[in-house]
Amino acid sequence: MGLLAPAFLAGLFAIGIPIAIHLINRERRAVVQFPSLMFLQKIPYRSVRRQKLRHLLLLAMRCLALALLVAAFSRPFLQRRNATSSSLLGARERVVLVDRSYSMGYADHWKRALDATRVETRDLAGNDRATIVFFANDPAAATEPTASQPRLDRAIAGAKLSSEGTRYEPALKLAAQILSASNLPRKEVVMISDFQRIAWGRRDDVRLPPGAAMRTVDVGGAQGADLAVTQASTDRDRVGDRDRVTVTARVTNTGAAARTIDATLELGGRAIETKKLTVPPKGVAQARFAPNVVPASATRGTVRITRDSLPANDAFNFTLAPGEAVSVLIVLPSKPRTNQGLYLSRALAIGDRPAFRVDVKAEDALRAGDLVSRSLVILDEVPPPNGAVGTRLREAIVAGTGLLVVPGDLAAARWSNEWRALMPARLGSVVDRTRDAGGTVATVDYGHPVFELFSAPRSGDFSTAHLFRYRLLVAPGDSGVIARLDDGAPALVEKSVGGGKVLMWASSLDEYWTDLPLQPVFLPFVHELAKYAGRYGDARAWFQAGDVLDLSRHGELTAPFIADAGASAGASPLVLESPSGRRTPLTASGAEHLATLSEQGFYELRGLGTAAGSGRPIAVNVDPKESDLSRFDPRELVAAVMATPGAGPSGSGSSAAPEELERGQTMWWYLLVVALLLLAAETILSNRLSKTESAGRV
Amino acid sequence: MTADTATLLDPAVLARIGNLELLARTVVEGFVNGLHRSPHLGSSTDFAEHRSYMPGDDIRGIDWRLFARSDRYYVKQFEADTNTNFMVLLDVSPSMRYRGATEGTGSVSKLDYACYLAAALAYFSSTQRDRVGLATFDDDIVEYVPPSAKHLRLVLHALERTTRSAAAAAPERARGAPSRASTLDAPLRKLSESLRRRSIVLLISDLYEEPDAVLSALANVRGRGNDLIVFHLLDRVEIEFPFADATNFVDLETGERMPVIPAYLRAQYRGVVAEHTATLARRMQEQRIDYALFDTSKPLDKALFAYLLARERFSTAR
Repeated sequence: MGLLAPAFLAGLFAIGIPIAIHLINRERRAVVQFPSLMFLQKIPYRSVRRQKLRHLLLLAMRCLALALLVAAFSRPFLQRRNATSSSLLGARERVVLVDRSYSMGYADHWKRALDATRVETRDLAGNDRATIVFFANDPAAATEPTASQPRLDRAIAGAKLSSEGTRYEPALKLAAQILSASNLPRKEVVMISDFQRIAWGRRDDVRLPPGAAMRTVDVGGAQGADLAVTQASTDRDRVGDRDRVTVTARVTNTGAAARTIDATLELGGRAIETKKLTVPPKGVAQARFAPNVVPASATRGTVRITRDSLPANDAFNFTLAPGEAVSVLIVLPSKPRTNQGLYLSRALAIGDRPAFRVDVKAEDALRAGDLVSRSLVILDEVPPPNGAVGTRLREAIVAGTGLLVVPGDLAAARWSNEWRALMPARLGSVVDRTRDAGGTVATVDYGHPVFELFSAPRSGDFSTAHLFRYRLLVAPGDSGVIARLDDGAPALVEKSVGGGKVLMWASSLDEYWTDLPLQPVFLPFVHELAKYAGRYGDARAWFQAGDVLDLSRHGELTAPFIADAGASAGASPLVLESPSGRRTPLTASGAEHLATLSEQGFYELRGLGTAAGSGRPIAVNVDPKESDLSRFDPRELVAAVMATPGAGPSGSGSSAAPEELERGQTMWWYLLVVALLLLAAETILSNRLSKTESAGRV
Repeated sequence: MTADTATLLDPAVLARIGNLELLARTVVEGFVNGLHRSPHLGSSTDFAEHRSYMPGDDIRGIDWRLFARSDRYYVKQFEADTNTNFMVLLDVSPSMRYRGATEGTGSVSKLDYACYLAAALAYFSSTQRDRVGLATFDDDIVEYVPPSAKHLRLVLHALERTTRSAAAAAPERARGAPSRASTLDAPLRKLSESLRRRSIVLLISDLYEEPDAVLSALANVRGRGNDLIVFHLLDRVEIEFPFADATNFVDLETGERMPVIPAYLRAQYRGVVAEHTATLARRMQEQRIDYALFDTSKPLDKALFAYLLARERFSTAR
């Protein structure tokens, strides 16, 4: 039962006033104006002396008539959710948005959400249709708009909690899209969630289509207390010839009481150390574990705390891997000049993050086997190889190996067409600027990974280096010029070829044509150049659920497989197995190098056909922001997404279009007729009583 | 605050000042002078951090002392001043015209008190270079001045018109002319639609509605990302219910009459009012709305303090 104009119910007080006037035995002397009788009307009446009521039947009839009149003016209607009302008002398009973020795993929230989803989908009648959308960071429709109960039940039965956080905006946009595409007359959205404050940003902007209504089902209850491992850091140091790692975990407590828990460090699946930890209320505590030797191969690590009501954030996973080197091959002419390649190899030999493993080969001694498992090949004033070696090098480039070409004064006329197509620039004449003290690197793309390190002030000055001679490079449209000289000529040019990068440096990398190797910027420049061309990505100890794994940017993950399978392994099939056992075929580069890490736990990347457990573990954790269980009022959300004011945001509980329901039922008319009949009867009765009393007095 | 300043902020004294602009200036300057040692002021040029000097930076920002120590150029950065929209939503429903007539209570109506508050805070915000605006409403929007840095004078004129029209309507009310009961929901919904930018919204009302209805109406404003401050104004008579004789009470909003024996109802009435205000305070705190209850017989400094604290909290919550 609902009321279209509930304010008229205040008129029920009118029934009490005449009675009270009779009952209160005090004379009224004055009238006092008062801002509102709202509070007075809440207080039960008290009288000094009760008078005997006469003609109780008349009083009862008058009161009943008055009550019926008030009820009629309140325009009541029945909120029937059945085929009759549906057929009266037209079919309904309902989108049920169900939050499946990991915070819904708190206590029994997920079970309550699924129960509420069943209630909402079994409430359909006639031509009504429903769509179930499960959402966390991103929404996914579990069904098409359908009236089929078995299909909806199957979708609910197959629903699983996600490891991701919550965002309402994409889910509501999808719901708005579904409703906009619907031709049914009544449209509504039902959102079932725990209504965490972090899920709705102040700047989120979604509008439901005009006429659509929205209801919310809050399964969250009171804000709960939770303990979560929100971060684990791995600090490395070196003792003797061994790397050690110290793991520090950060535990947060959102509850109002301090908690003492156990925090356990597990490496390779074995519990290594357990610490007692007291986390203050609404505070943070750190657990620092004793140093451990870094294992020889990538190993799974977990910090686990005592299980509580939200188990998903009670463990934090990470991967411990030994330092990985970038393998660089420098190819020199058969008869190199003095010190050619010396500065380059010495510069790359310095540094351990990453370490560079450098090999130097003469042009005529180069074999195809030398190219195996190389991250970067540098042709230092050497023409690109022909024959089988050349073919193998081109395959390796497509698979992800980098190539840095330093042409010097080589003639390009005899280069094969295959190599010409791969090169980022055509070679022009040699420019000699020894007379004007040489050119300088004047324009640098500081947004490029090679020069990003130098973008901050005092982080390296290229203008101090002089390029006395350089090769004029003519870059076609598909190549990028990363650095230019003061006369506008390209200094460093790049081109993407398959999964690899080909770069060309206009001058020399020793002191033959330039004094750059004598400048302080040379070492970081060569390191950044080698890291970029060699596709070295900073190794990540863990990812977050919802992150996209781009193998082309994480050479450290695919390096073991390239080493095992040869230079062409970049295109060889790999498989990524999720914690739940789902397998995704991938390649280190090419079309299938992306995968979404949606599950919490350890993924495993390995070669196709190899045994489980032999691959590279990849740790994935839940979004720590989702551990913040503070809530907000769902009515704010409803008010923010309704298309037009007064379109019927009904918050939690009632359904849409009460005006239409009331108009279809016209209960007020029946109530008015009954009230008028009662008043007519009362008039007749009171006349008779009046005559009787008059006759009695006479 | 000195005793003289406190006297200056007494609403009964302020009522004798005819010019609203003069009144606002008197209140704000008196208040600020009284507060010159307060920790709540002087955050406009707060030092924030050092940053490495970059070509193009103003060399006047270089910290030369740090340069002398480190031989590196660093620039001092400060918290920037921001100006924001300050929108006053003023309830001008008939119940706001109530003026407690019992001995010992204040001699200004709730509406007059609200206008003083609105004028003072608009003037104060204008001195902070905020864009000030005003909307008066009963069961619909009565007057609307959009937020602008140049609209202080328009706001003050609108407030003067409001107090004048309230004074003219008072005799009519005395004759018991019926009127419509006002609700917050419809006008606040319209006003929230008109606020294009995020604003600090100050609602001044006596909130004669059930807490659920009030919160539902406020959700319209909050849902748009505005920061909301609610000043709940009540006359001391409304809080203490000091009447003695049995009388007919007439509802100023609806004209409804009710026979009442105050002696029997006083304790219960106070309990209901206390529960109502406590529920509003608790629910608004849950919704992160700044709520403060004011007795119109008290000086304005408490209200100004409440506004400054809320404003400071909004600025530090960035």
